[in-house]
This record gives sequence, structure tokens and C-alpha cells, in this order.
Amino acid sequence: MSTAISAMRHVRGFDPTKPFGLGMVILLMLPLVLLPLASIFIFGTSSGLRSFWAALTAPDAVFALKLSVVTSFYATLFNVLFGLLAAYVLSRYTFFGRTAIIVTISLPTAIPTAVAGFALLLLWGKYGMIGRFISEDHQLMFTPYAIILANIFVTFPLAFGVLMSVFETMDKSLEEASATIGATRWQTFWHVTLPSLRGAIVTGALLTFARAIGEFGSTILVSGNLAGSTQTAPLYIFAKFNEGQVEAANAVAIILALFSFAIFSILFFARDWIEGK
Amino acid sequence: MLAERLEDEPDTARDAPAPAASVRSLSKSFKGVRVLEDVSFDVAEGEALVLLGASGSGKTTILRVIAGLERPDTGNVVLHGRDVTELPARERGVGVIFQSYALFPRMTVEQNVGYGLRIRGRKRRERREKVESLLELVHLLDQRKKLPSQLSGGQQQRVAIARTLAYEPQMLLFDEPFGALDAQIRVRLRREIRALLRDINVPALFITHDQEEALELGDRIAVLHQGHLEQIGTPQEVYNRPETEYVATFLGAANLLLGVVARDNRVELGTVAVEAGAEAARFHVGQPVKLVFRPEDVRVSRPGGELPADCNPLANGVVEEKHFVGAYERLNIRLDLVARAPRPGEPPLYEISETPERRLGVPVIITRTKSEASAKPLRVGERVTLCLTTFRVLPNFPLASERGGRVLDTQK
Repeated sequence: MSTAISAMRHVRGFDPTKPFGLGMVILLMLPLVLLPLASIFIFGTSSGLRSFWAALTAPDAVFALKLSVVTSFYATLFNVLFGLLAAYVLSRYTFFGRTAIIVTISLPTAIPTAVAGFALLLLWGKYGMIGRFISEDHQLMFTPYAIILANIFVTFPLAFGVLMSVFETMDKSLEEASATIGATRWQTFWHVTLPSLRGAIVTGALLTFARAIGEFGSTILVSGNLAGSTQTAPLYIFAKFNEGQVEAANAVAIILALFSFAIFSILFFARDWIEGK
Repeated sequence: MLAERLEDEPDTARDAPAPAASVRSLSKSFKGVRVLEDVSFDVAEGEALVLLGASGSGKTTILRVIAGLERPDTGNVVLHGRDVTELPARERGVGVIFQSYALFPRMTVEQNVGYGLRIRGRKRRERREKVESLLELVHLLDQRKKLPSQLSGGQQQRVAIARTLAYEPQMLLFDEPFGALDAQIRVRLRREIRALLRDINVPALFITHDQEEALELGDRIAVLHQGHLEQIGTPQEVYNRPETEYVATFLGAANLLLGVVARDNRVELGTVAVEAGAEAARFHVGQPVKLVFRPEDVRVSRPGGELPADCNPLANGVVEEKHFVGAYERLNIRLDLVARAPRPGEPPLYEISETPERRLGVPVIITRTKSEASAKPLRVGERVTLCLTTFRVLPNFPLASERGGRVLDTQK
């Protein structure tokens, strides 16, 4: 930052780049980000808080929000635990096929979510490759479990990526020191490795949660989209909008937007705490 | 023949106290590159041994093998009579002070120091007392609640030492302990550590590439070069009686003159012959050797002037350059030797072969103390005569490994 400023010092007199450039950026941001977000809030409150509250407390809306939070929570829990395991194993041991595993784990980032959901259907669906061997009562697809599965599939690379990068840059001599002091592998992990990962775990969890709670493409394929049963918040917004109930859709949209604001703020403002400074 | 020699050797091992640690013929390769080749040494109880070598000499690998962080291809590590080669690091009870100190960043100073006791399940009170006494020992009692990041480098190092002392290690291993510190602090800290080690009487192994540090820290110094142990001995032995050319040049400055052993224990250097006594007696007549001497072991005077009685006459020469270097004076002198051309197949004579003025003589560097320099001032261009107070005659191979199967016994 300071280098950029000092590099500009040689320009004498009025430098038009700054006001002009800054104006361009703000002008672009306005229609792209700020106005759409603002319109949710403007529209949501235009017919009064009472109707907003009524739309929000409709049983299906409450259920959709709850379902989103619960499924995202389980997906997050899974991602953190198995992300830790995967990152630990893949960063601490070298073996044949290590890179292949890392690439495979990270692959879902590049797959369109609709394709991911479709793939899960083909595998676990009633007539799918595995699903056909599962009895009628234990079918996975079109249940909340399918939503969790889809969330994990789509978001696992996020948590893994954050954890892996910290594992790989971690000072190995800390763990070696712990071993020479006499700690077992487990004690070392618990007392030394894990505390250093605190920030990465929080970041990975928040990223996963934020991504999972808004997941649409894969969820709509695997969940069945049954109101009050397997309909998550984003699906609810989509369904209500299609039915023409814009206010109902908007109320839930506001809540989702606030959620993501909150998570983003934590990631942004609590960075120092997360990184342990 | 070797077996015969071994049998003839007096059995000192049984009389001498058992070493605190010994390393027996360690060898190790990484991806086909030999980093250690048959390295053996002992560390006595309470002794500080310094492993000195350039980067890539294998010194850090030895430390990691002793600590149990690396597994040797062959060889053993014995700590207080117990073979620990197969034991994992945590069961060896060795204290490692890492170059980065490796303090746990989320633990306070006292938590760091108490960690070894905590994982051993010691009672809280015992832990607190021990930690307190250790922090007092390293003068950090008032910093106990701080995090490592709030301490200076020297303080962090003391925390690292206290952390290892908490579990009463069998041995302390220091990996480049002063590498990350300023030059001034280094000198002070190594004296502190030396004093501390004397207090606690724990055998220690230091790793360094700094020869001054090695000379000051070590009861003994082991010089390593490319995975080979070149020489091991007290600082005086290694500095004053280097056994190989590598040791002579790595520890301090040295002049090397190529010569041939002649009759009557003389070493022929071009046109002059130096009386070398016992130094030359170790070699066959006609064997190519190098006369090695340190710049400070030379006395100079004008031709016909007084030279000390116990000083071995070397040759005459001309002062070519004179530099004042603070504590002493450095003279570049060209000796009136006609350099002997290298024989076919001989290693190059690096001190003399490539200089264009070769036919004119051989340059050497000498230093004189301030008092000497002012008592007998010399001008550039002046003719002088030189003699040596101390010198070594070494085989014309730079490394111990090249000594041709160690036929030659340099201890003699």
C-alpha cells in the first residue's frame, strides 16, 4: 500500500487517476452488488414490518430456515473433523498416490453443483448404482440426509483447502520438539498441532457453513423440495417466487443475507483473533 | 593386520568412565546421496562436544539421529549404556534446542517449561515448584506469564533450555543455537550457556558452522566434512595440531606449502629444506607433503637480525603488502622458494600454482601483534627472513577420507 503511494509521488500537481478510478469502481459496484442487496431490504420492509414478520413466521418458512441451519451444521461438523484427518494424513505422510488423492478431494470445487446433485442421484437414487440395493425404507435420496450429503460433497474442498494449507506451512519443529519432550503422537496433536489450527478450523467451518446454507443447485436435485419436509431456505425462496409470493420469498432472503453478512464480518473483523495475534 | 592392531591396543574402555553418549559408525543416505559415512564419537559425562562443519557436512543429520527424529541406515546410538537406535524420539529423554527454539506459541513461558512434566502426569504442585526453580535458573521468573512471541531471541532460547531441563534429559542437543541472533548477543549468550552447562553438568552436543563459536563452546570439537569425521579433539588440539588440510583451513587461516620429505627428517620446499623433526618422521622419504602453519606462528626479522632460538628457520622473502587490521598487522610476504611444479596426477597446488609470478616465489600471509609490529617496523619491499614457531607436516591430501585407507598414523 505504502509503496503504491510513494510510487505516485513523482506525479506533480493534480493527479486525475485517483478520483476518476475510484469513481469508476464505486459506479460499477453500485449496480453489481450494493443495489441488489439494498433492494431486498427495501422491498422486504416496504409493506410494513408486520407483514414481513408474518411472512417470516409462516410454518414452511421457519421449517426451511431450520432445515438449512441443521443440515449445514452437520455438513460443517463432518467437514471439520474429516478435513482435519485428511489434511493431517496428507501433509504428514508421503506415499504413492498422495497428489492424486489431494486432487480428487479438491475436484468438487470445479464441478457445477447441479452436476454434483445429479451424480449423487445416479449413485444413491432408488435405481442408482448403490441405491438399488437399499431397501425402500432406508432410501437416502429425497430426505434431509441427502441434503447433508450434497452439502458435504460441495463444501468439503473448502474446509480441506484451508486446513491443508495451514498444515503444510506449519513449523514442523514444533511437533518434533513435542516428541523429543516425550509427548505421544496424540498428545502432540492435542496440545501442539490443534491449537495452531484454531484459526484454520474456525475459518474452514465458517466458509463451509456459509456455502452450505446457501447451496441450491445440488440440493434441489437430491432433496425432493417438499415444503415442510425437505425444503431448505434457498429452495423455499425459489418455490415462493415461482408461486408469485414475492413477499414470502423476500423475508427468507433477508434472513439468509443477514446470515452471510454475519459470517463475513466474523471472517473479516476477527481475523486477528482467528490467526491468534 | 587391523585386527592385530586392535588387540594390541590397551583396553582403556573398561578403565575409563562409560561415555554419556556414543555414536557408532552412523551412515545415512537421502535419496541416494550419502550424508553420513561411518561417523563414530563419544560424549563424556558433563562434556560439551561441538560438531563443526559447513552446511551439507551432515552435522544436523547427526543431531536428528541422536534425537530420534531421523533413522540411520546403519550404526547405533547409545545413551548411558543403552542402545536407543530403535527407540522413538519421545522415549529417549534427550533435550533438543531447535534453531527456531520451537516454543509452543499458544502456551505461556511457564506452560512451555512445564509441558514435559504435564505430559508425564506430574502433580500440579510439583510442576509449579520445578518450573519456578528452572525459570529462576535461567533468570526468567518475572516473564513467566508472557507468550513466547513477547520475548527476545535470547530469552526464548533460555525458555527452550529450561523446557528441556524440566524432564532431566540424558543429553542436550543444540542445533545452531546462536544462528538467529545478532553478533553481539551471540557472544554474551554462549558464555551464559557455557556457564549454565557447567552448573547443571549435563552432556551437550552443539551444532555450528562458526569456528569461533566452536572454539569457545566446546570441551572438544569434531570437524565434519561431507559426512566424514575429519578430526576430533580439544580446541587446542584441533587448532594447533590439525590432522588434515581441511581442518587446518576450516578452523582459522593457514599457509600451505607443498614439499617433499627428504632425508634426516627434513622437508624440502623448492630450494630450501626445513628441519621438521618428528613431524617429518611420520612420512617416507620422497613422499609429497604439505607444510602447514598459521599466520601467527611466524616470526620475521631483517636478514642477519635476531630470531628466537626455538624458531625453525624457513626462508627469506620480500614484504609485498602490509595491512593494518586493528588488533594486529598482516603482511603478505613472497618467499624466495622456487615452487616445485606439481607432479603428474598430483592435486593442484592451490596456494601457488596459478599465480603468474610463480617463478618469483611463493606468497604467504603472516600476522604480527601490535607490539611486535611497532618494535620491528617493516616497509613494503624490504627483505626479511622467516622462521616458524609451530607447524604441521600433513600428507598431500586435503581430507581424512583420502588418506589411502588410513595407512598413515598421524597420531604418532
